[in-house]
Amino acid sequence: MALLEITGASVQFGGLTAVNEVSFQAEPGEVRALIGPNGAGKTSLFKAIAGEEPLSAGTIRFQGAPIHDLTPHEISARGVRRTFQNGGLFGELTALENILAGLHTRIPSSFGGLLLGTRAAKTAEKNGTRKARALLEMMGIPHVADQWARDLSGGQQRMVEIVRALATDPPLLLLDEPAVGLAPPARAELMKIIRRLVEEENIAVILIEHAIEFVMTVCDTLMVLNNGELIAEGPPEEVRRNREVLEAYLGR
Amino acid sequence: MLSLLPQLLVSGIAIGMLYALIALSMTILYRATTVVNFGHGDLVMAGAYMVLIFMVNVTLPFLPALLLSLAALFGFGYLLHRAFIWPIINGPHLGLAMMAIAIGYAVRGLVRLEYGSEMAKMPRPFEEQFFFAFNTVMTLDEITFCVVVVVMLVVSYLVFSRTRFGRIVQAMFQTQRGASLVGINVRLFNNLIWGVGCALGALGGVMLGLILVLDPDAGVWTLLRGFAAMTLGGFGSLHGAVIGGLIIGVLEKVLGTYVSTAFIDITCYLVIIVVLLVRPRGLFGQHATLRI
Repeated sequence: MALLEITGASVQFGGLTAVNEVSFQAEPGEVRALIGPNGAGKTSLFKAIAGEEPLSAGTIRFQGAPIHDLTPHEISARGVRRTFQNGGLFGELTALENILAGLHTRIPSSFGGLLLGTRAAKTAEKNGTRKARALLEMMGIPHVADQWARDLSGGQQRMVEIVRALATDPPLLLLDEPAVGLAPPARAELMKIIRRLVEEENIAVILIEHAIEFVMTVCDTLMVLNNGELIAEGPPEEVRRNREVLEAYLGR
Repeated sequence: MLSLLPQLLVSGIAIGMLYALIALSMTILYRATTVVNFGHGDLVMAGAYMVLIFMVNVTLPFLPALLLSLAALFGFGYLLHRAFIWPIINGPHLGLAMMAIAIGYAVRGLVRLEYGSEMAKMPRPFEEQFFFAFNTVMTLDEITFCVVVVVMLVVSYLVFSRTRFGRIVQAMFQTQRGASLVGINVRLFNNLIWGVGCALGALGGVMLGLILVLDPDAGVWTLLRGFAAMTLGGFGSLHGAVIGGLIIGVLEKVLGTYVSTAFIDITCYLVIIVVLLVRPRGLFGQHATLRI
């Protein structure tokens, strides 16, 4: 049983088919990259996985169970976490508070505990805080914990978003253009972190990215979307030589 | 004439506290759904009418009647959002505004069913008393307004800033899409926020019931003051709503005394007009645009 199993998934906006019968599977311990020209349907497919766009056809199963009829928060609570191209953080909360807000579903407490801060809720929150700080440390940004998210640089915001997603130990992480706006050293660091997460924590990562060098180095499997259709899937070097891909995406 | 000023300030702040509470309850709903609830005034007055019904028709003492009224308005707000607002939340803003107005009128119609267009008086929970200090006089009603609203503000502040519930609400106020994608049940939280907003508004309505004769159309009076306070404070700003309410309360008293009594009724309109022309984002608002 694959971790994520997408079968014949289509997304339509009125008469426009943004994603057309896409099928693939993602396994724990692998990085999949999704590339394609603008308008190819990458973000629509991400949104469908996260429950933001309904499927017009097909199914999406996560850990064996169908999730395509669930709401975004239900899918997130099951362990599919995503980051945004931009604007995903809560700007008026600190970096640490952002991560704790993301941990909401993993801090067990009753509504009373949530509101009044019972001892059990406080203990759970303390553990969450410890974990959040450890993850910020791991990402090399422990100093931003108590800064407002809106005041962080673009790169720091992206890192905090990834930490927020990781803090919940998600089996599947969807990263939307994680490397955009990052300086080369930060990109290299991010690449190492993604590889380490996948290899040590055995999670699956699917990322959308335009930075081809980044994609080629970080992913195990490269998928290419064009006009909503999955036109190639395989090891990066192999896909790179695919004639259809060269014509559609790389322009050669 | 200037010797009246301290008294006007005291009375203005006391009534301004009520406006602040109503504006705060409207702002909470605005932050949740980014739509001004134009039916809010009727829900505020419904709080006072509920107390009237529980005390006169069910013959309950004031405190249980008050608690039942707040619980009823909490439930009403929760269901209102769940059944009427959420299903059209992604539709045109105008549709949401019209829905809010329609619900307000429906509530007003329900009140008319029972009371016609007659005025009614909410039974008082205590006798009016007067307290003198520093050449000013405060009524027990005014002291009650101040104490209740300050307690509500402190509680709201603590809940919003110190609890996990508050952090989730703040996250949701900032980006509901983001909140949803980190696992927060946005619909449920918005239902709860609408419940809290309506209950807070009802509390304001019950206190207004101490000083006003209830009439089914009083919701407009309430809505305009809450709306003016929101406009002045800046749409979406919680502390702006409070400060805006206090300023309008004082302005009404001062202008009503020194210029003309007509200003008691038109101050809120003037504030809305002047603020929208001169400083559309109000005192503390961040955005100049307003979704209706």
